[in-house]
Amino acid sequence: MSTISSHNPMKNAVAFAGAATTGFVAKNSGRSQASLAAQACTDVIKACGLTAADIDGICGMVPSPPEMQTMLGIPRVTWFDNPVMPVVNAVAVATAAVFSGLCQTVLVYHTPYRLPWNTASSLQDPFRGIGMPAGSGPGPESIFGGVGYTAWASRYIHEYNVPREHFGLVAINDRSNAARNPGAAKRTPLTMEDYLSARMIRWPLCMLDMDLPVDGADAFIITTAERARDLALPPVLVNAVTLGMVEKNQEDQTPSLRNHGQQVVVDALRAKSDFWTDGTDIYFPYDGFTPITLNWFENTGWCGPGEGGQFVEANWNAEQQRILIDGRIPVNPHGGALSEGGSQASGHIREAVHQLQGLAGERQVDGARTALITAGGYFFNAQGLTLVSD
Amino acid sequence: MTDLITDADLVRLFPGQPLTHDSAAHYRGRLEQRLLINRCTDCGTWQQPPFPICPKCWSTAVVPTEVAGTGTIHLVVFLYQGPPAPGVDYSTPYPVATIELDEQPGLRFTSTVIGAPNDDIVIGKRVTLDWIDRAGTPLPVFRLAEGAAT
Repeated sequence: MSTISSHNPMKNAVAFAGAATTGFVAKNSGRSQASLAAQACTDVIKACGLTAADIDGICGMVPSPPEMQTMLGIPRVTWFDNPVMPVVNAVAVATAAVFSGLCQTVLVYHTPYRLPWNTASSLQDPFRGIGMPAGSGPGPESIFGGVGYTAWASRYIHEYNVPREHFGLVAINDRSNAARNPGAAKRTPLTMEDYLSARMIRWPLCMLDMDLPVDGADAFIITTAERARDLALPPVLVNAVTLGMVEKNQEDQTPSLRNHGQQVVVDALRAKSDFWTDGTDIYFPYDGFTPITLNWFENTGWCGPGEGGQFVEANWNAEQQRILIDGRIPVNPHGGALSEGGSQASGHIREAVHQLQGLAGERQVDGARTALITAGGYFFNAQGLTLVSD
Repeated sequence: MTDLITDADLVRLFPGQPLTHDSAAHYRGRLEQRLLINRCTDCGTWQQPPFPICPKCWSTAVVPTEVAGTGTIHLVVFLYQGPPAPGVDYSTPYPVATIELDEQPGLRFTSTVIGAPNDDIVIGKRVTLDWIDRAGTPLPVFRLAEGAAT
């Protein structure tokens, strides 16, 4: 029995009124997460034509909502939450909070930050090591955390006999797109030779298969569609949003590449949305590790199991060195987690909002009205979001 | 003998491991070189990691039970860098493998594979349980089964 249905009473009733970013850097910025978040949050509030007193909901991880409220002098809020990553989770709860009336106008934010668990060089900033003692983990004989994606990458190669070049194309696509994004951390062109000679970290994945640790912040205003229409920027409506998880969700107990959180997201998001792959103008598959992207292509239905790399090759624009599905639909046009920077999907969401508002600069997709976002990985973090312009 | 090992001893002997009231018996088993996995005594379902209730029938009669230690490599990675550990030298990439145990489809345990060149440690190979010393405590590891490949 499936509990998944098309029931979606909040469809198009809640909207992004705006999105803002600091841009990302792949080095220690010399700033706190609070400083980065304050910049993005005040920018988005001002861009929407709002003030602190208009915010009655706060949703983010670091700084905590109580710290954020104090820092920005937000007088009174009726709802706040601190949901776990990736950031579609924050969008889901903020959208539901607005739809239900818990609050009307939510400030949502996320601060990617270089920390010891994702880059040892972060410790050149002594503040970043506080409370994170080295060597406190379970030791090497574990695939928990990021190692899990590497382990399932080996299974993917085993089951479908695909070459590492298929992963490399995902990295090159992101880099070519990042060249058009002034806020991206890595913008120099990437070749397949560069990819194949990059330092191996955990076979079969190398340095360029893994998202880029960065400093930065993204911020969003989510409010009723009705209120968003009275604000300064074009509203972007939340068509549907979902999370997905299956019974065995530990990295080493996950049933298979064809039975994990992504399949639940696809079933639910497709049932609740007004469009799917044949109706989207831009596609945002998660790319925290390159094989996640290929699996999203396959599980979302762009192609069959194991065919993700062939699908990318068939839709490769050689002149631009990037994917254009059917010669038209770009994939992670901001440069994604691998080249803009690892944002736990906040970058994907922000780029989608900017594209549907017509604010994506030289990356702007002409006439973009729909965006499909499939965020997160396999285990306990698969998520999906469909957005439409008003 | 391991009855004399207190919970505080376990915390000292297994730093960084996910010790709880539900996993302590598994780690006591390691001290006797017995690989214990939770099994429901009502319906026979094995579970990993150890939780205090059977996910199939919700019986709380879940007992840490010794497994044969035979299985098949389901996932494998080779670490070119990783957390420091005694006896682990990443100059030769260090294998970490998830083993599908013979007791039940989908029941898996993750450790390393010893005694074989990395080129031979591939998905689908049969393995058997062995034990090595890790900072004074036994660590369950796997070896390729004699002459076996699938």
